[in-house]
Amino acid sequence: MQYVADMKAAQTAGAAIDIDRVSHVYAGPEGGVQALSDVSMKVGAGRFIVIVGPSGCGKTSLLMMMAGLRDHTEGRIHVHGAPIPKPDPERVGVIFQEASLFPWLTTFDNIEFPLSLRGMSREERRRRSEPMLSLVGLTGFGERYPHELSGGMKQRVSIARGLVQDPPVLLMDEPFAALDEQTRMTMGHELLRIWSTTNKTVVFITHSLTEAVYLADEVYVMSPRPGRMIDHIMVDLPRPRTYEMMATDTFGRLRDRIWQQIRKSH
Amino acid sequence: MKRWQIILVRMAILALVLGAWELAPRMGFVNPMLLPPLSEVLAMLKTQIARPVVQEAIMITALEVIVAFIIAVPIGAAAGVAIAEFPYAGAIFKPMLFYVFSIPKSIFLPMFILIFGIGFQQKVAYAAFTTAFVVLMSATAAVESVKSDYILVARSFGATPLQILRRVYVPSMMPVLLETLRISMIFNFTGVMIAEMYASRTGIGHLISNWGENFQMPQLFAGVIMLAVVAIAFNETVRFLEARCSTWRT
Repeated sequence: MQYVADMKAAQTAGAAIDIDRVSHVYAGPEGGVQALSDVSMKVGAGRFIVIVGPSGCGKTSLLMMMAGLRDHTEGRIHVHGAPIPKPDPERVGVIFQEASLFPWLTTFDNIEFPLSLRGMSREERRRRSEPMLSLVGLTGFGERYPHELSGGMKQRVSIARGLVQDPPVLLMDEPFAALDEQTRMTMGHELLRIWSTTNKTVVFITHSLTEAVYLADEVYVMSPRPGRMIDHIMVDLPRPRTYEMMATDTFGRLRDRIWQQIRKSH
Repeated sequence: MKRWQIILVRMAILALVLGAWELAPRMGFVNPMLLPPLSEVLAMLKTQIARPVVQEAIMITALEVIVAFIIAVPIGAAAGVAIAEFPYAGAIFKPMLFYVFSIPKSIFLPMFILIFGIGFQQKVAYAAFTTAFVVLMSATAAVESVKSDYILVARSFGATPLQILRRVYVPSMMPVLLETLRISMIFNFTGVMIAEMYASRTGIGHLISNWGENFQMPQLFAGVIMLAVVAIAFNETVRFLEARCSTWRT
């Protein structure tokens, strides 16, 4: 329950995630490689943040650092008021590329995996996973194995698994990258619906500029390696977002601005 | 084709082969001295199984197979996991082991005889030696088959190293491990047979080799059937377990 107190502190401070001048150098075969350089960002609670940037710019590394899955050499990362030296599923849920479901577990067992690690009883787990399954629109698919699900359905299961412990922060690493265009649009829309009912703080990484503008409250643009924040764009489109908005001038202008920033940085 | 049709065709082929085995020597198409009719072989099988000498030989062979297996599997598996898990060990030993793996193991048999004599120990040592290599190779492949994504997911949910081992490595490796067990048993059995046929005073392999040298063909074929039944029974048991543990594999 410590994190509830931290959360209150963070809310008064106005940031669910506070990244302050973070740099990272990792050891390569020919000496140190600078992966991140002086990255700062403040994420307000309940905001939907999208990070875009070229491949290899360190955006996934940054996300892994926020998840406590990777170290950084300099600077400070606070999630809900405290550093995150190791993964803390009570504070942060991570959703990976390609869903990464365990193929030997059913949908129910995959969603309940984080709970079972904590030794929760079977009944209690099911009581918690069932509403998650319906939230992601997969009621009735609980006993299926991953190979019996489509790509979009797998990613829905993965989202349910990320939400099942009710962490205030959700980190998503290109979750829809492997999906076809149509499924991707539907999943983006679904994600916004889920987000609007759960009040999570979301940090979402993508390569798709359309996806970035469609989903985000704020977009951060990163430079090629060593990754730096080169732009921070407020997306002031109203919510709920609709597919029609993509055709508006505002949408086009925002999309264009991100593109210009990425192009300039090369 | 429907399943029952496939089974029917299989049965027909089996009947054809066994029928040919019975009739061809009787009708003079093949020399009955070289291939005695099936009925004669089966009668001989019955007589041989009733003999205490044969029963003792079966027991000894079975014991050699089991002991060699119990020695080879943990050693091979431990070495295989170590090579897969520690990059340095892998970089150093992997090429060497692949070179040694490519050498036919039977050429080392004279060395085993010099060291262990021609008794129980030599059979077990030689079979364990050949089997450990197979287990090692497969265990390495099994560990490497565990996707690093799965480990990252488990870590992100706060799994401890022990939980990662039990909840990710073991289920992920299980189908490959069972396959390893099955294939290594084939090599293990072969190892014991070769050692027994090469130089031995006991065991079913020794009997078969003797029968062959004395041109006792019904006895020889009876021995072959005996071994085939045991080997197939083991193989099918593990294959059954394998299928049950890998329903998730597509």
